[in-house]
Amino acid sequence: MLKLDNMVAHYGTVAAVKGITIEIEENEIVTLIGSNGAGKTTTLRAISGLHHPTSGRIDFEGEQIDQLMPEEINARGIAMVPEGRRVFPQMTVLENLEMGAYLRKDTAKMKADLDEIYEHFPILLERRKQLAGTMSGGQQQMVAMARALMSGPKLLLLDEPSLGLSPIMTQEIAKIIKELHAKGRTIMLVEQNARMALRLAKHAYVMEIGKVAFSGLAEDLRHDTKIQETYLGA
Amino acid sequence: MGHRLVDLALLIQTIANSIVAGSIYAVIAVGLAMAFGVMKMANFAHGEFFMAGAYVVYVFYALLGWPFPIAVLMAVPIVGAMGIITERLIFRPTRSNVLAGFMATAGLAFILQVLVGQAWGVGLMRSVPTPYMGAADILGAKIGWQRVLVVPVAIVMLSCLWYFLFKVKYGKALRACAQDPDTARLQGIGINKMTMLAMGISGASAGLAGALMAPIHPVTPYMGHGVILTAFIVVVMGGMESIAGAVLAAVLLGFIHTFVTTLSDAVTAQMVGVACMAIILIVRPEGLLGRVKA
Repeated sequence: MLKLDNMVAHYGTVAAVKGITIEIEENEIVTLIGSNGAGKTTTLRAISGLHHPTSGRIDFEGEQIDQLMPEEINARGIAMVPEGRRVFPQMTVLENLEMGAYLRKDTAKMKADLDEIYEHFPILLERRKQLAGTMSGGQQQMVAMARALMSGPKLLLLDEPSLGLSPIMTQEIAKIIKELHAKGRTIMLVEQNARMALRLAKHAYVMEIGKVAFSGLAEDLRHDTKIQETYLGA
Repeated sequence: MGHRLVDLALLIQTIANSIVAGSIYAVIAVGLAMAFGVMKMANFAHGEFFMAGAYVVYVFYALLGWPFPIAVLMAVPIVGAMGIITERLIFRPTRSNVLAGFMATAGLAFILQVLVGQAWGVGLMRSVPTPYMGAADILGAKIGWQRVLVVPVAIVMLSCLWYFLFKVKYGKALRACAQDPDTARLQGIGINKMTMLAMGISGASAGLAGALMAPIHPVTPYMGHGVILTAFIVVVMGGMESIAGAVLAAVLLGFIHTFVTTLSDAVTAQMVGVACMAIILIVRPEGLLGRVKA
C-alpha cells in the first residue's frame, strides 16, 4: 500500500533520514521506533507531504506521492495525527472534527463516520462544544485522532500518540488503536514507547540516526536481546 | 444652565465621533489582523488598499456620477481583487522569507501611491462631494449623516465576517489556517486558496472603509499613511491574530483618539494612542484578546 524506497531527507545540510526503505501492507499496523532524533518524525512528515525528500521515492497505492503537497496527500487517503497533537486550540471539538472532513462531500457517510468515531471516543460527544485547547493532553490526543479519522483515511499516520500522556491514558490510546485495527484500518505508528508499539504492531522498523537498524516481525523484535537492552529497558 | 447644555452636547458629540472612528478603525484593522493571522506576514500596503477604496468612490461617484452606494459597493470587489493579486504576486513567492515579504509590501505601498498620483494628480486633495447632507440631532449634538452611515455599515460588515468565520465551512478553515497552518494542510485545506481568500477579504474590507471615508476624509495618494499606523496600533493592542481583539481595540482607540483630539489636539492623540499600545504590550504582551503561543 505504502512504500518508501531509499528515501533521504535533509533539514538544511543535515541529513535527518539517510536512505530508508519501508513497506506497509493493507490492514496492518506497522511501527517505527527509535530514540529521539533517529528520524522517525521526519519520515512521517515526508509521507504526509510536510517535508519533501531529497532523494528516493514514496509510493502510495502504486503512485508516486513524494512531490505532492500535504493537502493533495490528504485527498489521496493519508491522514496524519501530528506529534504534539496539534488540535486547533481556539476551535470547538466538533469544529476540529469538521476540519478533518474538510475535503469530503459524502454527507451521509460522514454522519455515519462521526457516530462511529463517537463510539470510539465517547468523551468527544460529551465535550463537542468545548474549545479543544482547554482539554487535557489525553483528550486532545483523542480529538487529533478523531479528526484524522473524519477524513475516512485509507492509511492513518500516528506520530508519538503516547507522548506526555499518563500511563492510564496511554493504555486507553493503545486500546483505541487496537480497536481501529480490528475494524480494518491500516496504521503507521511512530513511537518512543517501544514496549507499547511492539505489542500493537505486526511489523516493526527500528531507526537509529537516520537509518533502519533492525526490522522484522514485532513479535520477534520484542524477544530480541539487543532490542530489549536498548529499547525496552530490560 | 445654558453652559451645561453645551457641555452635554459636546460630550455626546465626542462620544458619537468616537463610535464612528472606532467603527472605521475596526473595519480596517480586521482585514490587517486576518491577513496576518493566516500568512504571519504584515501587509504594509494595507493603508494603500484603504486609499484605493477612496479613489474608487472618487472615480465612480465624483467623476463618473454613479450613485454613491453603488460606488461604495464597487470598492469591495475592486480592492478585494487587489488583495488577491497581491497575495499571488507578492505574498506567495515570499512566504518563506519574512524580510522579503516586508520589503515587497512596503514597496507595493509606494508603487500604489505613485500610480494613483500619476493617474489623478498629487497636491490638492480630490474633492468628493458629500452625498448625504444634513446632520442627526442627538440632544443638541449634531452628527453628519455621512458619519452616522459608517456605523451601521461597519456593524453589518463585521457581522457578515463573524458569520462567515464561525458558521461557514470555508471560514472555519480560514480560522484553522490561522491557528496552525501545517495542521490545516494535513486536513486537506489548500493553503494557497486560504491565503487568497484571506487577502481578498482583507483588501475588500480596507477598500470598503476607504470608500465610506472618501466624502469625509481628504482623498490624496498618501491618505494611507495615517491609517496604516492606526491599524497596526489596533492590531497590536488587540492581539495580532485576534479578530475580536481587533474590534475591541478599534473601539477603544476610537474613543482615545477622539477624546484626546477634542481635549487637546490630533498630534497628542496619536502619541497617547501609541503610549496605550506600549502599556498594553508591557502589561499583556499577547494583546487584549491574543493568546500565548504554546
